[in-house]
Amino acid sequence: MLADLRQSVSDWIFRASVPEVPPVTLVQRRIFILPTRHGYGFAFVVFVLLLASINYSLSLGFVLTFLLGSMAGVAMLHTWRNLAHLKLRPGRCDPVFAGETAYFGVTLETPSLTRFAIGLRRRGEEALHADIGVGEPATVALPLQTRVRGRARCGRIEVFTRYPLGMFHAWSYVEFDLSVLVYPKPDPSAGAPPQDGRSATEEGIPVRGDEEFNLLRQYQPGDTLRQIAWKALARERGLLTKEFSAMASSELWLDWDQARAPDIEARLAILAHWVLQAEEFGQGYGLRLPGVRIAPDRGEAHRARCLEALALYGLAP
Amino acid sequence: MKRAPYSPHLDVRNVLWLLASMLVVVAPHMLRLPYWVGLFFVAVVGWRAWISWSAIHFPPRLLVLAITVVATIGTYLQFGRIGGREGGVTLLVLMSALKLLEMRTQREVVLCVYLGFFLVLTNFLFSQSIPLGIYMLACVWIFIATLIGFNRPGRSPRLGERLRPAGALLVQALPLMVAFFILFPRVNGPLWALPRDGQAGMTGLSDTMSPGNIANLIKSDAVAFRVRFLGERPPYSTLYWRGPVLTLFDGGTWHMLREAHPATIAYTRAERPTRYEVIIEPSNRSALFAIDAPAEVPADARVMTDLQLRSARPVTETRRYEVTSWLDYRYGAAEDARSLQRDRSFNPERNPRTLALGRLWAAESSDPRAIVARAVQLFNREFTYTLEPPVLDPRDPYDDFLFNTKRGFCEHYAGSFALLMRAAGIPARVVTGYQGGEVNPFNNELIVRQADAHAWTEIWLAGEGWTRVDPTAAVSPLRVEQGVNAALGPIGVIPSLIAADRLGVLANLRFGWQLLNGRWEQWVVGYNTDRQRDFFARLGMPAVDWRTLGFWLVMAIFVVGGAVTLGLLVRERPRRPDASLAAWNRYCAKLAAAGFPRAPHEGPLDYLARVRRARPQWGDAAEEITRRYVAARYGDSATREELRALAGRVRDFRAA
Repeated sequence: MLADLRQSVSDWIFRASVPEVPPVTLVQRRIFILPTRHGYGFAFVVFVLLLASINYSLSLGFVLTFLLGSMAGVAMLHTWRNLAHLKLRPGRCDPVFAGETAYFGVTLETPSLTRFAIGLRRRGEEALHADIGVGEPATVALPLQTRVRGRARCGRIEVFTRYPLGMFHAWSYVEFDLSVLVYPKPDPSAGAPPQDGRSATEEGIPVRGDEEFNLLRQYQPGDTLRQIAWKALARERGLLTKEFSAMASSELWLDWDQARAPDIEARLAILAHWVLQAEEFGQGYGLRLPGVRIAPDRGEAHRARCLEALALYGLAP
Repeated sequence: MKRAPYSPHLDVRNVLWLLASMLVVVAPHMLRLPYWVGLFFVAVVGWRAWISWSAIHFPPRLLVLAITVVATIGTYLQFGRIGGREGGVTLLVLMSALKLLEMRTQREVVLCVYLGFFLVLTNFLFSQSIPLGIYMLACVWIFIATLIGFNRPGRSPRLGERLRPAGALLVQALPLMVAFFILFPRVNGPLWALPRDGQAGMTGLSDTMSPGNIANLIKSDAVAFRVRFLGERPPYSTLYWRGPVLTLFDGGTWHMLREAHPATIAYTRAERPTRYEVIIEPSNRSALFAIDAPAEVPADARVMTDLQLRSARPVTETRRYEVTSWLDYRYGAAEDARSLQRDRSFNPERNPRTLALGRLWAAESSDPRAIVARAVQLFNREFTYTLEPPVLDPRDPYDDFLFNTKRGFCEHYAGSFALLMRAAGIPARVVTGYQGGEVNPFNNELIVRQADAHAWTEIWLAGEGWTRVDPTAAVSPLRVEQGVNAALGPIGVIPSLIAADRLGVLANLRFGWQLLNGRWEQWVVGYNTDRQRDFFARLGMPAVDWRTLGFWLVMAIFVVGGAVTLGLLVRERPRRPDASLAAWNRYCAKLAAAGFPRAPHEGPLDYLARVRRARPQWGDAAEEITRRYVAARYGDSATREELRALAGRVRDFRAA
């Protein structure tokens, strides 16, 4: 309750705003700085040193006290400067399947001065640190443990630093329109795509059951890399080629109605599995969902289109 | 792609840095504190290093607790208490070691670094010399470097990446530190009572004298005080710096008069005034020193009936005072009979042979001058001046000295002479203080060291009053004319090379160093309320109070702090990228111009792969440039030729 209140106050103070247009430069007015617990501790240390110096008339004690005190002040400037004018851009955010860890890439660039120990974190997450040299942008990938399909947003990112002495915490908030697609988690128990979705023009009849065995043959020079059964190779069963000759020209429709499951999410999981299966066997496939129709095709881009449709099915755009 | 996940485990190299800094800061203490303290500290630090190095377990808390208790008891047994300077510092050193032993988290690391700063301060309780100051500055530097290492999560920085920013922080802090040092209002006296031995280790004359204690003092090279004469420097032989006057004698030890009180001295003759400024080192005693006889004295000092100058409070810090003295004086002719009787008294049970000799002389002559002459003759004929006299019989020390050993030092001569005079019925007393000093040719300052400590006598003559007699001069006239080194000859008891070389290069170096030390003592170590007021008086602001100082301090913080801030921000201009990077950027620009820009997050190799896939016609040239760039930038440092080759390839590259 108190934490919520604190959060909303802090949101108000720090103007958690609409997504910003990259690149974002951390200009002076958006950087905040406060002493850390170690900073307050250090202030106490300096105070005690001062008392001792006065009491024992230790001139060099005064020198030490004032040197440390002034240094803390200079350190504050250094901390602030370590963050100021840093330029941030959104980076890559590769789609993942629900349950996997998604990474939001953020690229940091410095116009001058090498920056040390710049930390980035999403609200409530562990921070990641990077050093950024001039002309050497660094990319930090902020992890997100995904659970459900859809579009996971990165949300507000805190960019902060405590370098050099850890006595001050300088920070700024950046909110990019940074999101990652989370595909439904495939349901491997669904087995192979049903073949009654095959179009009328098809010729080859696929072998039901364990197609992996039936459709593998010895590798012959000239087979494309895509056709090699890497999984089999990994299991040390030799170089095998997946044989799809019977289906090469066939078209497979992966249909919402065929994925029989009690609820939407389970259906999507089955369909996701089928998409992967079909793609793995180099089969052309199309996808039919209520309100969505993707014409048969194959390849990375097609697969991504299908999975995206599954990920976003029924969600507000 | 750089990712540095935060690791809760302490980096081994960082921990070793911290341990090394702690060793460095405690090292001077190891020479001062009992040897077992140093051994304990080194052992525990070694143990902690081993824990991190071999990733073994920390000791159980119960064991640490047990060691803590043992260490505390050890401190108590050593010093008889826990407080005090030595005891307190010992305890702090031991506890810091134990804190290191259970240091597991970043928070405890920070605590240990802060403890390190306290350890720096404790060193100043023992010495505030220039060398120690420099050493401690280095310690602070190392501690800051350590702290920086711990603030680079996930990556232990190289030596330069620690020391350079730490040095920059300290250098940038200097101006503000100086402003604070000058302007921060100084408070007189301690805020709470000093531990009794807070100032121990200071040397100086004591208020008693028994054979042997000045000799120890004379072996010390420490400065007692410095003198700046406002007029001409009086002749060396008149430089008797009067300190404690010892009137009471119990047969073995001379004591100061307890009932001595401030008095206005009536001089029957007072001529040849000399005015001078004395900068005295802390002695923790009230004795101040002035040439015989003091005339005008500072406001917080008093002249006693026996002419000694006493301070209102003990000298616990470097202090400056001005005195005027009469070099030619006569006083005490009207001394009352009771005090004269006291000044003739002695313990008849001890030193019987000395007393008999004195009585014999008195029987043979009634003229005090003749008796003094006989004593001087005696010393002159048979006695040897040495700083290493034989140990004397504690019951009858002066019998032993006069009739057996016949070897001794000023206190032996002064003490036995005074006793002989008393036995002969002449009022006599011992005066301790310093004699002479050494002139620094650079600034004409007179430096008086503990080695110049001296004891002489005064006898009372009817019609003349108290008259100085220095029996040591009879044995070793050089002692009084030129100082103790001359008296002992070139290979004296002071086993110092430079002491023998009075006018050579070494002497000049030594005087230069003296001068520097003098300034340091005066303006840095001795910078107190008076000095601060002095400083501002010189700037044309007499009688500054803390409010004025506070105002100027705030101003200085704004001005100096503002200047440092500006300096830091101006330095933020874009830095010229290095040659390999510049070439690479040109190459990327060419590709971008050809419609194939590098993505911000793309590393050189990823970019190359993409170029190869999409624009195979550029492949070989692109590959060579990328390979050379990666080698120059991320490999070992590239030679000039390699950089030139890279630049050439980029220049020749045509993205068509």
